[in-house]
Formats: sequence, structure tokens, C-alpha cells
Amino acid sequence: MKIVFSLLFFLGGLLTPAHAQEDAWSYTTDAVHPGKELQLSPQEREQDLNPSEDTDNDPFEPVNRVVFEFNELVDTIFLEPLAAMYEGVVHEFIRERVGYALRNLSEPLVLVNNLLQGELGDAGETLDRFLLNSTYGVGGLFDVSTDLGIPYKKEDFGMTLASWGMGAGPYIVLPILGPSNLRDTLGRIGDYGFDPINVWGYSADKELYCDIRTGVQILDAKTDNIKIIEDLRKNAIDYYATIRTWYSERRKHLVRKESEAIETPRPDEDE
Amino acid sequence: MKKIIFACVSLIFWIQGCNAEIEPKNAETFMKTIGDEVISLLTDKTITDQERANQFREILQTRFNVKAIGKFVLGRYWKQASDEEKQKFLELFKETTVASYATRFKEYTSERFEILNSRAEPDGGVIVSSQIVRPNGQVIPIDWKIFEKNGELRIYDVILEGISMGITQRSEYASVIQKGGGRIEAINQALEQKLTTYQ
Repeated sequence: MKIVFSLLFFLGGLLTPAHAQEDAWSYTTDAVHPGKELQLSPQEREQDLNPSEDTDNDPFEPVNRVVFEFNELVDTIFLEPLAAMYEGVVHEFIRERVGYALRNLSEPLVLVNNLLQGELGDAGETLDRFLLNSTYGVGGLFDVSTDLGIPYKKEDFGMTLASWGMGAGPYIVLPILGPSNLRDTLGRIGDYGFDPINVWGYSADKELYCDIRTGVQILDAKTDNIKIIEDLRKNAIDYYATIRTWYSERRKHLVRKESEAIETPRPDEDE
Repeated sequence: MKKIIFACVSLIFWIQGCNAEIEPKNAETFMKTIGDEVISLLTDKTITDQERANQFREILQTRFNVKAIGKFVLGRYWKQASDEEKQKFLELFKETTVASYATRFKEYTSERFEILNSRAEPDGGVIVSSQIVRPNGQVIPIDWKIFEKNGELRIYDVILEGISMGITQRSEYASVIQKGGGRIEAINQALEQKLTTYQ
């Protein structure tokens, strides 16, 4: 058992905590609000105006597929059984508290990103959330802010780069971390460096806490998503392609302006 | 008198049909009806899984525009496909959708379906926002894209947390067709293969 956890924390060390909590294909976050102002590159704007079907920017597909298979292997033989165990052993109430506490610890990073995006209003709300939940929410175990009308709003450095006008770039499957793209990969590195919790941890020689946090974050995310992943795996014809679109569309959604419409099927004349 | 009123009302509906503009509120009512239909289908313990699948197929055919969705998800390959291939694709597309939902329905555990709001979209359609509340309080937001065509409301897309199922499937199917050498037959074979896994 000890080995399993050591291995988990070893793997945890490889991961950037900021994203580990929220898996790429997580679609069950409580409150998702699309990002606000977004500057698009001319190319992206073109794509938005004339949505082409070939939006799967995946020049490294052969390599990506290999890494994807490797990740699947790690997931099925290691992470998912562990997540299933966590779900089976730890009561739902506790797991929920753990999830909220982790999210609370990610708020300082959200705040940094709010500031980098120049969203002072959001920054104020994030700060309020962090202070309220850390105190009245008993160290973040309860999300009292959402009840008070300040819901969680995800931000990360990938989204910050998007707000600065950077395009998503090619799709990349990262080992163990999973789906990403060039922008979000840079974003992960940025988040890791900017995360106030990490900065504190490493300066105060508390790396172990950071690694434990990362380990639990992975577990938490896997447990949340296990049913969804199962469903996608079972119903997909090309699982790799499904995850690729799922990730790309999800990230697009997070940085999309509220007024921008999504391209969908529509009635046409020759029906 | 009645005839005149009827004629006027028909005229109004006809004009509305021409504009293809729909009242967001009507779309909300429409979605509420479908939600109730599906929930009662799921909670009815007197019918077999087979009957449940059949009734769901009925809902899919009458409430969704399966042809428009199928055409969208086949994307640029739709134009290349022969009529025969199109027919076969639409049939397989419908059946795999029914089969995948039928297996999901087996796991149904008293989820609640709530309509939140609706808004008109620039393309003439309406988006109805709804959410599924799971027994543990977990909330899954789902948007429905609805258009009116020939006086009938139909669902054209399901959007899960900003992810269009139409776009997701189009990308997946394109990948299958490309790997199969650009033949439409590749996706039809893959769907046929998929169908057998549900039995």
C-alpha cells in the first residue's frame, strides 16, 4: 500500500498541480463561466467566422496516438483502480470536502491569472471567495461563497495566454497529463511557476505538501471523471479523436465570449 | 367566424414558419415536454428494455432532426456519398444513438431534469439551457439547440458544457473516414461494428 502511494506521489511530482484537479474532459464542474474579453488572432477569427471542418490541428497525430495509448495503459492499470478504491473506501461526504479544499487551494492561482488578464472585478471575487471559504468555510472544506452567490470561476495560464491573443496551436498529448495543445502546455508550465502555493512550498522547503496535494488532486479528478471516461470509451468509435475534440472544444468554450455562437447543425433548404 | 379565426391563426403560424423565428419560451415548453417524456420512460418499470429503446427511438425520430444532424456530422463527406450510402449512414447513425442511450438508461437513478432559460441565437435558432441534477447534487449543464422548420420544433444539437455533440461526432467520424482511405463505407462499417457491441 505504501508503495502505491509513494508511486502516486512520484507521479504527482511530475504533474503541474494547477490542472491536475480538473481533468481536461471534466464536464461536471459546478460553475463554468466562459471567459470574458478575448482577443483572437486573425487566423482564429477567420476560423470562427468561417468554421472550417478541419479544426483538428493535429500535425503530430502519429506520435500523439502512441502517447495516448501509453496514458490509457497507465490509467487502466494504475490510476483508475486507485480511483475506484478511493471511491469505495472513502465516504462521499469526505471526498466532497477534499474536492472543495483542493479547489480552495487553487484559488490563489486563479487570482494571479485574474490579475494577469487585467480582470480586476474577477480578481476581487476570487479573493473574496478564498477569504470566505478559508474562514467561514473551515479552511475551504465548504464552499460557502457559492451559496452566497460568488461561484467558482476557473482560470489558468493557458486561458490567460488566450486572453492575450495567443492561438491554441497544435494538439499535443502529454505523457500522463493527457490532452493539451501548445498554448495550454506553456500554460501548465506558467501555472506551476506562478502558483502561490507552490512558490510558498518550495521556498519554505515544504515540497512534500505540494506533492501530496498533487497526488490527491489526481485522485480527486479521476474519481470525478471515472463514469464519464467509461461512457466515452464505450460509445466512441475513435476514442482518440473523441477526446481530441472534447478537449479542444472544452478549452475553446472556456475562453469564448458569451456572445459568440457555437456552430451547430441547422435546417437547410434541400431537406 | 370560427373559420376566419382559424384562417388568421394559420396565417400567423405560416408567416412565423416562413421567418423561422421561434419564441424562446415555446422552445422551453417544447424541451420541458420532451424531458417529461424521457423521465416517464425511464421511471416506467412495467416496460422491458427493448420497449424502452423502441419508445426512445420514437422520441428521437419525432423530436430531433436526425437527417440534419446526420448530414452535419458527415460534414464534407455528405456531398461525396451516394444516396444509398447516405440512407445507410442515417439509419446506422440513428440506431447507434438509440443503442448508446439505451445502455445509459440502465444506469438511471432518479436524476432531475430542470429547464433554466432560453435565448434566441443569431442563426435563427434558440438555445434552451437545462441541467441534470444527480442524486448526489452534482449538476450537469446541457444546452439544446432548437430550430423551427415547417411549423415544427426540432432539436438539432446537444451541447454539454459548451461542447457540441455534433462537432464532436463530426470530428470523430472524419477521423474514421480518413483512416479508411476517405471512403464513406468506412464509417458505415465502423458503425455497424459498434452496433454489434451493444447487443
